Amino acid sequence: MVDALFTVLQRPNFLTFVILFLWGFYIMVTRFNLVKKLIGLYLVQTSVIFFLVSISAKKDATVPVLLSTTEPVQAASYLNPLPHVLTLTAIVVGVATTGVGLALCGAIYRQYGSLDEEKILEKLE
Amino acid sequence: MRYVFSGWTVPLGIEWVADGFASVILALFSVLGLLGVVFTGPTSPKDLGGRIVHYYTLILLLVSSLTGIVFAGDLFNLFVFLEVAAISSYALIGVAGGRALFAAYRYLILGTLGASLYLLGVSYLYAVTGTLNMADMAEKIPLLLHSKAVVGGLLFMFIGLGIKMALVPFHAWLPEAYTHAPYSISPILASLVTKVALLAWVRIIYWVFNASIVIDDIPVLLLVAVVGALAAVIGASLALAQRDLKMIFAYGGISHIGIILTGIGQGNPTGFVGGVFYLLNDAVMQASLFFLAGVAFCHYGVRTIDDMGRVGKQAPWLTGSLIIVALGMIGLPPTGGFFGKWYIILGALEAGNYFSVAAVLLATLLTLAYFVKLFESIFRQPSTRVEVPSGIIPLSFKLTLGVTSAAIMILGLYSSPIIQLLLSQALPPGL
Repeated sequence: MVDALFTVLQRPNFLTFVILFLWGFYIMVTRFNLVKKLIGLYLVQTSVIFFLVSISAKKDATVPVLLSTTEPVQAASYLNPLPHVLTLTAIVVGVATTGVGLALCGAIYRQYGSLDEEKILEKLE
Repeated sequence: MRYVFSGWTVPLGIEWVADGFASVILALFSVLGLLGVVFTGPTSPKDLGGRIVHYYTLILLLVSSLTGIVFAGDLFNLFVFLEVAAISSYALIGVAGGRALFAAYRYLILGTLGASLYLLGVSYLYAVTGTLNMADMAEKIPLLLHSKAVVGGLLFMFIGLGIKMALVPFHAWLPEAYTHAPYSISPILASLVTKVALLAWVRIIYWVFNASIVIDDIPVLLLVAVVGALAAVIGASLALAQRDLKMIFAYGGISHIGIILTGIGQGNPTGFVGGVFYLLNDAVMQASLFFLAGVAFCHYGVRTIDDMGRVGKQAPWLTGSLIIVALGMIGLPPTGGFFGKWYIILGALEAGNYFSVAAVLLATLLTLAYFVKLFESIFRQPSTRVEVPSGIIPLSFKLTLGVTSAAIMILGLYSSPIIQLLLSQALPPGL
């Protein structure tokens, strides 16, 4: 048990990811306000993006541009650009989803005059 | 056939793969997408609230992103196309406003959660293998099967795509979203959007992971078959409890997703081909059912099965195609549904999974039960002699109902060449 705790503490980025993910999920499940649910969803998406960045982190590495053309290439001294590019795409996708969600929230508010899930469900009955 | 984008060689660049599997499915999906647009035609847009331009834009976006999902050769592009398809379907459901808005919102919350889980699975696999290309990953995976990250990645991908394909524990968004969506949109959603998530899952499990994988003593395919069997039975029994036409058809679709997964999960060529053939049939049948619900409401003003009895005998097109679709859904011989189930059951017997056979048969019986309920209300109800407000059925309604009903029969009558084609062209490499 102590060992497991120690292992977890050695990887603080994974711990942060798990906390962010569960936090976002908790908000999505417990809150009745539609915009708050969207915030929880955004937190979940961000946690996944954070995970993707954190697995590609390297110490003492530089941007993936060759420093010298004569010396042999040391892979350990360059960052992997791919996860960062993926992250960028995932952020764009997340922003688009949130945008559609907020637009839906706006339309729901105009229609039902409320953003509270329970009140909307009452009106739907 | 492979297309490499801008000349980068494959593990570095992005590619599109058009093998037999993708081509067969894409041909059918394009035809169904076209039919969906034809169905909207001149008369039914009254349920779109006048937003014709939005509808056509979004439907084009949806169909092209579905093409992308079928063709994508690497896992991350698959994610991006899944999200494009999902965003356009949220917008399509909510396009007319009204009750559909709230259903679209719920779909958005669950669907995006599923996509995030899928992305998490992809990043796990990327962390282990260092590649995103499916063919490249398939070479590296066999050495890493005992890694916990692979197990976690596979699990997250399955849950994520399971939400997208409305597998049973995660199906809550589907009936509401499809029922409240405008009538000209739900056929395309029901026949294509959930199926395409299922296809992505089949692509991953058979083309990336090997067909006969056992990770840490967990037989993954058997697990898929068991989940599919449960989904088949639960979906059909929930459909039995509904009165609303679209609600019944939506739950029927959930049950069919389970039947397809049962076939896919047998891990032998017969079961696999049966599953894919049933998937083709199911896409046609779902489109047909929701066209039917659309004609029933837009032309006759019928929403529930009790009203169906009022209309039944005065609507030959509606009743005729309903009978053919019912034959297909139940799985009676001359239709494609029968041959799909037949091959799935053969595959299950070959693999010795009698549980799957029992589940498919039970789901068939339950399907029979809810169609008997439907036909009872059409034919056995005392005729109320109420004149239904109806003119001549518009050509686009006749065309879509006719083409889908004919396709159900043709898929059945020509099932043997189609199955042979699938067996020779569409099998994954490991099978």
